[in-house]
Amino acid sequence: MRGYHDIGGNEAGPIPIVELPWLHWEKQVEAIRNLLGDGTRRIMSLDELRRGFESFGEEKYKQWSFYRRRIEAMVDVLIEKGVFTREEFEKEAELLRGRWTPPVDCE
Amino acid sequence: MPDHNHDADDHHHDHHEPLVVEDEAGNIEGQILVDALQNLLVRQNLIAPGEVRREIERIESPGVHLGAKIVARAWTDQDYKMRLLADGKSAAAELGIAVGEAQLIVVENTADTHNLVCCTLCSCYPRSILGQPPAWYISKAYRARAVREPRAVLEEFGLHIPNHVKLRVHDSNADMRYLVLPVKPTGSENLSEAELTGLVTRDCMIGTSEAAMPQA
Amino acid sequence: MKHRFDAGDRVVVLELNKAGHIRTPYYVRNHFGTILQRCGSYLNPERLAVGDVAGPVVPLYRVAFQFGELWKDYSGNPDDVLCIEIYEHWLRAANDPTAAQTN
Repeated sequence: MRGYHDIGGNEAGPIPIVELPWLHWEKQVEAIRNLLGDGTRRIMSLDELRRGFESFGEEKYKQWSFYRRRIEAMVDVLIEKGVFTREEFEKEAELLRGRWTPPVDCE
Repeated sequence: MPDHNHDADDHHHDHHEPLVVEDEAGNIEGQILVDALQNLLVRQNLIAPGEVRREIERIESPGVHLGAKIVARAWTDQDYKMRLLADGKSAAAELGIAVGEAQLIVVENTADTHNLVCCTLCSCYPRSILGQPPAWYISKAYRARAVREPRAVLEEFGLHIPNHVKLRVHDSNADMRYLVLPVKPTGSENLSEAELTGLVTRDCMIGTSEAAMPQA
Repeated sequence: MKHRFDAGDRVVVLELNKAGHIRTPYYVRNHFGTILQRCGSYLNPERLAVGDVAGPVVPLYRVAFQFGELWKDYSGNPDDVLCIEIYEHWLRAANDPTAAQTN
């Protein structure tokens, strides 16, 4: 058995030696994951998050950026655990899409 | 070589985007998704908005400067260096640097050994010291090739390791995290510890670069 | 927690054919290496990934593999090594042909 994320040793092209900024939404994803996994909550560990992006499918793994994979995996795992439903999440996201404005402390 | 046990052709393994970067629409969508998540969690009293803000500040604060402090101390204090190589977490704590991961293993470059750190399975990196890994570190190309053809990878970074120098590549796949202790540059003998920190770059603590005196 | 291996021991990484979240990459399975050091014992990530935090903890080792052993066409210094962390249940002694118990 070899996960699609288990790519050590594969052939690949040149290393993309670039610097990218760390965006606010990405920091927010990481912050929320850390809080959910902390000693007061233990709602979702890093191991569970990894299982999330290792099992949501190879197409998503190839197409999505690093933090997009993370937020999607987090939502999948939290839904699996019954923290909220897919419908509740989609409804909230749709609401926000409708009235999206940049966050106040966005760079 | 055993079968990969996939239905799709093996060449699909090779077809990864060099780096998937969100465009503006993608970043807006990312912001919406994380805000939606945060709203649902806050509504259930699982997290508080103030906590998220403070945690963001906390994860923003580590950076290369912390690793540089550790390296500069190891360069100037042999006893500290020995403690660092034996137990990185405790030695970092001596300098007021709290390592959040299970253990920090510091690997020393010498005249005949060069170290390189990667994480083939995901993106493990000593974030509590160095902050975020560079985009290339978490790219599929680096993860795939660092454990297969590390010398060719280093050439792409402009680092030529002579063949008589032994390479040690560390795949951080479990609970340990790794920091490379680069070789102290020749010509730096008269620099103070504080001045030495200025010579320590992120890439020389990952192993894709060496510390050097600034060009005159 | 009794460790089965010590620094210097020759070991082979098993192919346990496990589904789910694992931290032993494909490219080291069925390969021979040498224990560098013990890293302590930790909860098994395979269990943590499904929310099982009950334990037991599993000994973790850093294991060194020669690049030439991992890749038949490796062209570099023959002493180049790949160092990686392997949980004990993925290892057997190199001179022990019987399979280790699975966790």
